[in-house]
Amino acid sequence: MRVLGMNGTRVGKRLIGTQAPVTVGWENIPRVEGGPVKQFVFTWFQPTMLFALLAFWYYAPNSIAKASTAIMIGIGFRAFLLALEWVNPRFDSWRLTWKELATDLFYVGLGYTLLRVVDEYIGDGAMVEAVQGSFDWDKFAWFMGLPLLLQAFLISFIFDFGQYWMHRGMHNWHPLWLTHAPHHYITQLNINKGAVGNPIELFLIGLGIGGFFDFLPRAALLAGTLGLAVGTYQHINVRFNSPRWWRFVFNTTEHHSVHHSQDFEASRSNYSGTWIIIDRMFGTCVDGEAELLGMEGGRRMSIRETMVYPFAEGWKTLKERFGRQEAVPAE
Amino acid sequence: MNLRFTDWIWHVKGSLALAPGQSSDEAFDRLDPLFREPGTSHKRTGDTLTFRKKDQAAQDKMSIFTDGILQIERGVSGLVLRYHLTSRALLLCFLAPLLFLGFAQLTVAIGILDKPTAEELAKEKKKEEEEEKKIAARPLNPIDKFLGAPAPDKPKKDKGKDKKKKGEEEDHGPSPMPAYVFAGIFAALYIGGRILEDRLVKSLFRKRLLDS
Repeated sequence: MRVLGMNGTRVGKRLIGTQAPVTVGWENIPRVEGGPVKQFVFTWFQPTMLFALLAFWYYAPNSIAKASTAIMIGIGFRAFLLALEWVNPRFDSWRLTWKELATDLFYVGLGYTLLRVVDEYIGDGAMVEAVQGSFDWDKFAWFMGLPLLLQAFLISFIFDFGQYWMHRGMHNWHPLWLTHAPHHYITQLNINKGAVGNPIELFLIGLGIGGFFDFLPRAALLAGTLGLAVGTYQHINVRFNSPRWWRFVFNTTEHHSVHHSQDFEASRSNYSGTWIIIDRMFGTCVDGEAELLGMEGGRRMSIRETMVYPFAEGWKTLKERFGRQEAVPAE
Repeated sequence: MNLRFTDWIWHVKGSLALAPGQSSDEAFDRLDPLFREPGTSHKRTGDTLTFRKKDQAAQDKMSIFTDGILQIERGVSGLVLRYHLTSRALLLCFLAPLLFLGFAQLTVAIGILDKPTAEELAKEKKKEEEEEKKIAARPLNPIDKFLGAPAPDKPKKDKGKDKKKKGEEEDHGPSPMPAYVFAGIFAALYIGGRILEDRLVKSLFRKRLLDS
């Protein structure tokens, strides 16, 4: 028996939605409204794109199956999804405005420029080189003998498994949380919101993304496309009727909106990026949806504050601790 | 510096005639909800309203504005609302292309400073060739062969040309291209935003003042 409303909903041992409204349970989540064509498109779009992209990377000739193609497809896909936000928004209260678009693109721009350069020297780029230099890849021969799609699944799943624990760590350990908190100040989900946050976090999350499997582009590209055709829907203002099997295995906008809810307990769920089944494995999955997102009752954080937050808050925390210790001998 | 010629970059000004018979109090009452958004403070003194915004909500209809003055004056044919709004968002968007051009220059500079030596290049090339050989030596899984996935290219085949091109790109380190693209994107965003937001705020005020 589910109780809806501000009393919260019991999910396992937890009470979800006592501080802010969260809809729990698939049966309570609205479906796509409109004519049969619209219903059809927004029911089948996600699986169709996923299988089309997988087929593309599986069969593309070597001259096309390159990282640069993946980057172009990624940009094109996101641009298309941005258009879908206009056609079929999930919530009117998440509509993209000029300022939201400009702000989001600023963070996207940082990711493509400054962060890329930094990563090259002290981030995943440098790490990959170090690992590749000291690693006997022949030991991985068995892996590369596996069918391509299995390799792709394993790369994607193992990577997401690491991301799950990094993300969960960010929500449980204060120093890491300081880097992740600014991302939780977003008050609506749009296609570029995944890039919004303090660059240190993006740097931390980026660790490991790199080219561990650069030398076998096809499996890596297939794994990457899983992230694109599934993970992208974490931050988007579009309503889809995702198939049951999809939302059982994959992360969805619904799951991620719960993670971004103003409700504290709800935000401590759905940590994975692509494979929500990892959350199911560890008991952190909440199937539901939230419209009211953010922190501090939905205060929107400026770019400036986002940039300095980990340092400013970290300093504040240190000072509090230091201050308390100082107060003890005075007693 | 005389700001008169540059302040249009982040200042939005305009005026609207009030409905016949509408008093300034009535007009400000109608506009009042716009200044009750989170993070907004405002003050009304007679025919003047001043406001200030911080951490504007995403869906605040006036989210791009930082502060402003609204005044109701007597015009030729009745009362007129004159507004003068300033927007930090517009100013930053106007400056953003410069920032990204700076990133581009930085990328170029790093590419020059950190140019790999001939020795490093040779080492890298050797490593790459070895990897490529390993990949080519590994047969495709029978399942993939059956389904018709293309096998990895055999090395040494028409490699000279390809290699050269690839090598050339890598020599110069990270590409400044994305930074140039984003400089362009923000220039376009600024122009679009300056025109769009000017119109939106005017129609917002008009709707508030004239709609019954």
